[in-house]
Amino acid sequence: MVKFIAIACLTVLSLFGGVIQEDEQFKTAVASMGSDTKLVLMLYTTDECPECAYMKQKVFHEKGVEAYLYRHFVIIEKNVHKSKLPEGYDFFGIPTMFFIDKTGRKKETIVGSKRPQPFLSELHRIRGLQ
Amino acid sequence: MKAVLAAMLMGWIALSAYDPTHLKKAMEEKECIGCDLRGANLSNSDFSGADFHGSDLSGADMRESIFEMADFNDCNLSGVNARGTLFWKGTMMRSDLSSIQARGANFKGVHLEHSNLNFADFRGTKSWKADFTDAQTVKTDFTDAELGDAKFIRNNLSTAKLAKSLLWQTRFSATVMTKQQCVYARKEEALLDAKVICR
Repeated sequence: MVKFIAIACLTVLSLFGGVIQEDEQFKTAVASMGSDTKLVLMLYTTDECPECAYMKQKVFHEKGVEAYLYRHFVIIEKNVHKSKLPEGYDFFGIPTMFFIDKTGRKKETIVGSKRPQPFLSELHRIRGLQ
Repeated sequence: MKAVLAAMLMGWIALSAYDPTHLKKAMEEKECIGCDLRGANLSNSDFSGADFHGSDLSGADMRESIFEMADFNDCNLSGVNARGTLFWKGTMMRSDLSSIQARGANFKGVHLEHSNLNFADFRGTKSWKADFTDAQTVKTDFTDAELGDAKFIRNNLSTAKLAKSLLWQTRFSATVMTKQQCVYARKEEALLDAKVICR
């Protein structure tokens, strides 16, 4: 029984990595920014998530959204069932979008999908946050 | 006049005459099968995983409660106030949801096959991947509802309201729709098969 609990704990812990600054995807995203002041949009998904697909396939590429999104944000995606999740980035629904600055400071969290225009408005608002 | 008022009062009493022992059981055990919960107050509570199948909850107040993965199969939910209620991944098959007030409620992944949604208020609901197969939808209001990846099979939607609804990858098969609804659904990137009737 103890062995089983230990294995279960290790399995759960293995899904949680270290701090966000040590996350390989995050580091790559920050490196890709160069001197630009962009934000990282970390998207939590699962395989069976129509809302995630809607955001990735439709909203992110919608006229008006796409140009602004890729000019000011770098997207990284984590499948919550397959990826190591950084500490302090728990989720209560899928998709969850975390907006993080270069230093690893979480600026905002959005749970659930958004339609293109409200999503664009959120991007503008979040970019304006200090 | 007195007779009318008396009749209205009696009608109201009949509608809200839940069994107190059933309500107690529902609140404490989160399970009440075949219960009389007419007009009961089930608002602002957590009933995740609860089993209510075969119960009469008509006119109940379920506002802002959590019924995640709850079983409402074969229930009477007519006239329920379910504004902002969460029914995520629950089952409501063969249930009567006529005239339910569910504005802003969460029906993601909910099974509503063979249910009665006539005159239901589903405005602004989050109903991703919900299954409406064989549901009755006379004057159902889906305005502004998120119905992405939901399934509508063998429904007559011609009197339902679909304005501003999100229909991305929503599947329609053997449904009856107005021409206007069909145009809108295709624009929203819904999937309409050859059996859909647009008239």
